Amino acid sequence: MKSTSQIIEEVKKEIPEISVEEAQKEKAEGGDDVVLLDVRDEDEYRAGYIPDAVHVTRGMLEFSIEDEVPDRDKKMIVYCAAGMRSLLAAKALKEMGYTDSVSMAGGYRDWSAAGLPTAKDKPMTPDQLERYSRHFMLSEVGERGQSKLLDAKVLLVGAGGLGSPAGLYLAATGVGTLGVVDSDVVELSNLQRQILHRTETVGKPKVDSAAETMNFLNPDVNVVPYNLRLSEDNIIDLFNEYDLVVDGCDNFATRYLVNDAAVLTNTPIVHGSIFQFEGQATVLKPHDGPCYRCMYPTPPPPGMVPG
Amino acid sequence: MLPGTIGLVMATEAVKLLLDVGEPLIGRLLMYDALSMKFRELKVNRDTDCPICGEQPTITELISDYIEFCEMDHSEPLATAAD
Repeated sequence: MKSTSQIIEEVKKEIPEISVEEAQKEKAEGGDDVVLLDVRDEDEYRAGYIPDAVHVTRGMLEFSIEDEVPDRDKKMIVYCAAGMRSLLAAKALKEMGYTDSVSMAGGYRDWSAAGLPTAKDKPMTPDQLERYSRHFMLSEVGERGQSKLLDAKVLLVGAGGLGSPAGLYLAATGVGTLGVVDSDVVELSNLQRQILHRTETVGKPKVDSAAETMNFLNPDVNVVPYNLRLSEDNIIDLFNEYDLVVDGCDNFATRYLVNDAAVLTNTPIVHGSIFQFEGQATVLKPHDGPCYRCMYPTPPPPGMVPG
Repeated sequence: MLPGTIGLVMATEAVKLLLDVGEPLIGRLLMYDALSMKFRELKVNRDTDCPICGEQPTITELISDYIEFCEMDHSEPLATAAD
């Protein structure tokens, strides 16, 4: 039978250790070729971490590391709180075929004591931790991704057929700020498809009906209603407030206006449109891909526009 | 029901962009036909002559009237959008 200290002593003979200063230098010089791997538990990570670190708890290491770092030849600098668990984690990596794994001696404790840079996500409330817990299981989202979503600002153009499902799910997902632009009021004939609105909100402005439904679903979300028609006079200022536009408008004039304003303000658009039984969607990211005018240089002749 | 399908594709793309994960629908037009229940994808390219995002843009600020622009007869080559 081996004691803990015997195990650690044995692993130390096999796994190189580097100081926090060396770790910082190697990461700074190596960039993406060097992975700083945080193997601490969720609550320790939440209290502060090294910027750019990849986080996989020691318990999940063997199950998740291939998804996070598929390249086994990357330099892996593993850290934990004080440098013990990271030794064991680095050994596990070595056994999995990672060719260059080292442990950062002194761990996060010595890193922060040395005054090296640390980061901390905005703390989530216990309710948020529970509400978004299923997102934390997805390595592409995780707590860091959820914080990004909570900090994000998305503008919905139109709270109709497309804006309704998009808005409901974005609210449920926990996008922190959702602006909604629409100048219509809810009509009974909207309700067979515009699921943000309800029988009792018929006659109300769509933006108010939408805000109410989204906040019933998720009170976390700051819904900003804009009961107005987008125009040449207001769109630029509005787009400058948001990271992303979800365009579910129902007419060509607005679609070209949204496109031009997005290119001029460098705001990505998620575009969608529908007609009868057909629909289409794409992402228009200014200067990274085509814009709406690249796809459709001119609007359809007036007589061809579906009513 | 159809708008639900497209609206959720849009929400999914929005979250992917915000998280910077996966392959967004940039340069790809996803087309959906509910009756045949088929998705198709069209590759779409940037137009280097695009009046707003091309190499020599002629539209450098919003045009004056988009409703009028959409009601114009565009059967002639578009030359007036830049004024």
